[in-house]
Amino acid sequence: MVFSSLTFIYVFLPLSLLFHYLSRNTLYRNIVLTVFSLIFYAWGEPMWIILLLISSFYDYFNGILVERFHGTWKAKLFLVLSVVGNLGILLAYKYGGFIWENIDWMLKNFNDWFNMSLVTPFEKPTNTLPIGISFYTFQTISYVVDVYRGDTKAQRNPLNFLMFVSLFHQLVAGPIVRYVTIADQIENRRVDWNLISSGVGRFCFGLFKKVVVANIASELVDKYMIYTYHGDGNFDLSSYEAWFGIVMFSVQIYFDFSGYSDMAIGLGRMFGFKYDENFKHPYAAQSVADFYRRWHISLGTFLRDYVYFPLGGGRKNRYRNIIIVWILTGFWHGASWNFVLWGLYFGCFMVLEKLLENVLKKTPRIIRHAYTLILIVFSRALFYFDSLYLSNTHFENSDFKHESDWSPLFGFMGNLFNSPNAVNPAFYGDLMMHLYFFILVILLCIPWDEIFTEENRFRLKVERIFYFAQPAVNFALLAIATTLLVNATHNPFIYFRF
Amino acid sequence: MMNLINSLVFFASISSMVVMYFLIGENRSDIEFHNGNAYLTEEKRKLTVMPPFTFEDYISGDWAKTFDLFVNDNFPSRVSFMEWSVELRKLRGIEVENQEKIVYIKPKNKNLPKFDDQGNPIKFLDDYDESYSGGLLIINGRVYPRSGGSTKMAANFARMVSEYAAQLEGEVRVLTAVPPLSSAFIPAEEYRHYNSQNQQSLEAIRKNLTNGAIFCDVFTELNNHAGEQLYFGTDHHWKPIGAYYAYVAFCKGAGFTPVPLEKMEKRTKTNFLGTMYQLTQDPSVKKNPDVMDYYIPKVKTDALRYSEFGFKGVAAKVFEHGCSGGTTYSTFLGGDRPLMKISTDVKNGRKALVIKNSMGNAFSVYLISHYEELWIVDLRYSKQNMIEIIRTNNINDLIFAPGMNHVMNPNTVNMMRRLGTQSGVYIPPKPSPIVDSTAVIPDTVP
Repeated sequence: MVFSSLTFIYVFLPLSLLFHYLSRNTLYRNIVLTVFSLIFYAWGEPMWIILLLISSFYDYFNGILVERFHGTWKAKLFLVLSVVGNLGILLAYKYGGFIWENIDWMLKNFNDWFNMSLVTPFEKPTNTLPIGISFYTFQTISYVVDVYRGDTKAQRNPLNFLMFVSLFHQLVAGPIVRYVTIADQIENRRVDWNLISSGVGRFCFGLFKKVVVANIASELVDKYMIYTYHGDGNFDLSSYEAWFGIVMFSVQIYFDFSGYSDMAIGLGRMFGFKYDENFKHPYAAQSVADFYRRWHISLGTFLRDYVYFPLGGGRKNRYRNIIIVWILTGFWHGASWNFVLWGLYFGCFMVLEKLLENVLKKTPRIIRHAYTLILIVFSRALFYFDSLYLSNTHFENSDFKHESDWSPLFGFMGNLFNSPNAVNPAFYGDLMMHLYFFILVILLCIPWDEIFTEENRFRLKVERIFYFAQPAVNFALLAIATTLLVNATHNPFIYFRF
Repeated sequence: MMNLINSLVFFASISSMVVMYFLIGENRSDIEFHNGNAYLTEEKRKLTVMPPFTFEDYISGDWAKTFDLFVNDNFPSRVSFMEWSVELRKLRGIEVENQEKIVYIKPKNKNLPKFDDQGNPIKFLDDYDESYSGGLLIINGRVYPRSGGSTKMAANFARMVSEYAAQLEGEVRVLTAVPPLSSAFIPAEEYRHYNSQNQQSLEAIRKNLTNGAIFCDVFTELNNHAGEQLYFGTDHHWKPIGAYYAYVAFCKGAGFTPVPLEKMEKRTKTNFLGTMYQLTQDPSVKKNPDVMDYYIPKVKTDALRYSEFGFKGVAAKVFEHGCSGGTTYSTFLGGDRPLMKISTDVKNGRKALVIKNSMGNAFSVYLISHYEELWIVDLRYSKQNMIEIIRTNNINDLIFAPGMNHVMNPNTVNMMRRLGTQSGVYIPPKPSPIVDSTAVIPDTVP
């Protein structure tokens, strides 16, 4: 199930809120939340719930055993078992196909070179990716590591632990909520109208971002990122149109993912949980490092705390550590060399920024900002295509088999400024037809809360007005999103594939 | 205080829809009932009903998918919300008058559960019918597909027709009357290449027909009247006048004298917003609803329609004059019937069987002037054995009149091939991957 569906908003959510608030008893509420979370997760793909349950109970026991044997080699053993088990699940279900393809490719080459007939030792996995696997495996790893480090106590109640792993607010697309963040809230959360109200506002805003901004951007992405090849080296898009598609993809992916995170945080608050922020106006960043302090913060801090620091952080082999973390970041996003390259791309720029720290500081803000945005937008091209070569179904159905997807982007085919086919006359019309939409996107990307700090009088005045207007504003956001959802033909969630 | 109000307003809003659903029930203005089934009037499709819960459906995920569709289809004031969404989407920017636009459509019914009335899994061929992955072009409030067919696929269709001609040699005359896509007649110079693409595709049928099968040159006849509005601008079908010119071409091929339009009764329907408007939801299309003049041959008829299996006929009409609004095109034959038999007072002993999709509906009605008995088979829905019908009823002419989309789709061509071998009992299709029809109609260089 997805948050931006009518079933979720108008059936699942009211029922889950109703049952949750029927009693003040925490045990009852936890049971309700767990049951609803499992229903949510099982919606459409119920078979993967078994994997979720196995993973949860595996780490439930690992956590207890790590605590029991704290300070001994046995604790380390169960920690290793937890990490290996979780990564094993990820390897098997997320990276199995990728590993098979690479082994198969290597063996084929090996056979050709040495005239041998080795075959891949296992069948190619054909399973679909279990929803949310990248998120919940990381959550359970962080839990066991935190117990090992003594940062938190092991959860003794299996129901509470299952609820932590399966909480529907953040289960399928994050943010990656660490156990320490909500350990206290699991058993002693206090809910008041202020918290619920702020959750309502956050949810409605996230829904608006997803349904209005991300979905409209995705229509333009579909239009400008799916090239049709006409033979003889001709596409129906010029380069600048293809790059416009990439810019729109950058808009889509941000509003899609941050909208989802907003909804997750809002839902958490409605049920009494306070999750950490996952986005802080990333497109206002002044450098690549700054960008990743603002983008998918929960993944960044996870890898910082559980990979970068244990490797030595900035004290020992700093640049190597940065590159390792970024290759892992890329690989986390998907089982494809494109994502590895994407991680390496950012790793290299991170290293460069560290080396040229002083130069960057002296560079004017606007240039730093432009440099960051250009790098980010370019990286989206790597992110959009699943492979370095033919991933586009349009190509696979044509005779076009030997060129890269990237050709239209760089005008390799002579389409730098216009398309030889001129069958896409709608570009300028599209710009005009989406003018107010572009303005809205820019307004929503500006970090207003950084420009107007908490003491700012103007901000206080606006917040005061909003306090009284919030029921109407939230109702309007919900109504707009609902109106578009009823007629939605296109409502994808990009981060579901991770 | 405001936080309390905010929370309560939100909870009331998200709870209200379920309450309203139970209050409204079936007292909705946007649905109509046929044979006990509810249909969405505007979208011309079955209303999704609450799926019965079964463990198998739940495990496969089909139950949840159908439930999502059920919620969407039964959302209170759904039609109003859809109308508001069109208005809301206008706020994206500035509408440019007469701006050419390209709209990309994803098949809306992609996730529809594919079961027939008996619960057998089925792949609806309409999935291909309405999917235009090459996009739709909107010019001056009229919508056109962005493709012009494919000679390769046309040859494939011709081979299938020729197989029938060989099988029925000496018994039945086999004819084809395939119309071009509306893209052939886009009134703008930069899209002239679609005209020649359509022509080349249809010529490929002529070149590949063997065993005495007759090619009726619909393209040339329509092209001679290219200045007229031959197709609807808001719907994916042709206008009755376009179908009439196809009928003239057919008569030339079949050796008949076409009945002049003046000798038919003319009626008019207005304010038709068809499937292309539903797909694009474009305001400029909405501003240009179609007017449909249609012509009724002065022939007395008795019609029977059959379900997809068997031959238990139910009385039907050749013209359903009551159809209006989004269902205006269903005036012809009352829509897509799996099988229909029309008996006429033209006592010439000639009998024909027409294989068609919905494009053939407007065409078939002209044929009643030339045949004593006319069998009309919808290639997508009929499970009856066509050869059996031909031989049992001593059919003289077998006429292939599907739309270009179905000619260009190897799956629908196979469907037509299967009409001659199927047993009349539904056999689930093999679980082989289905090829998207539009993917095999490359938008080639003129």
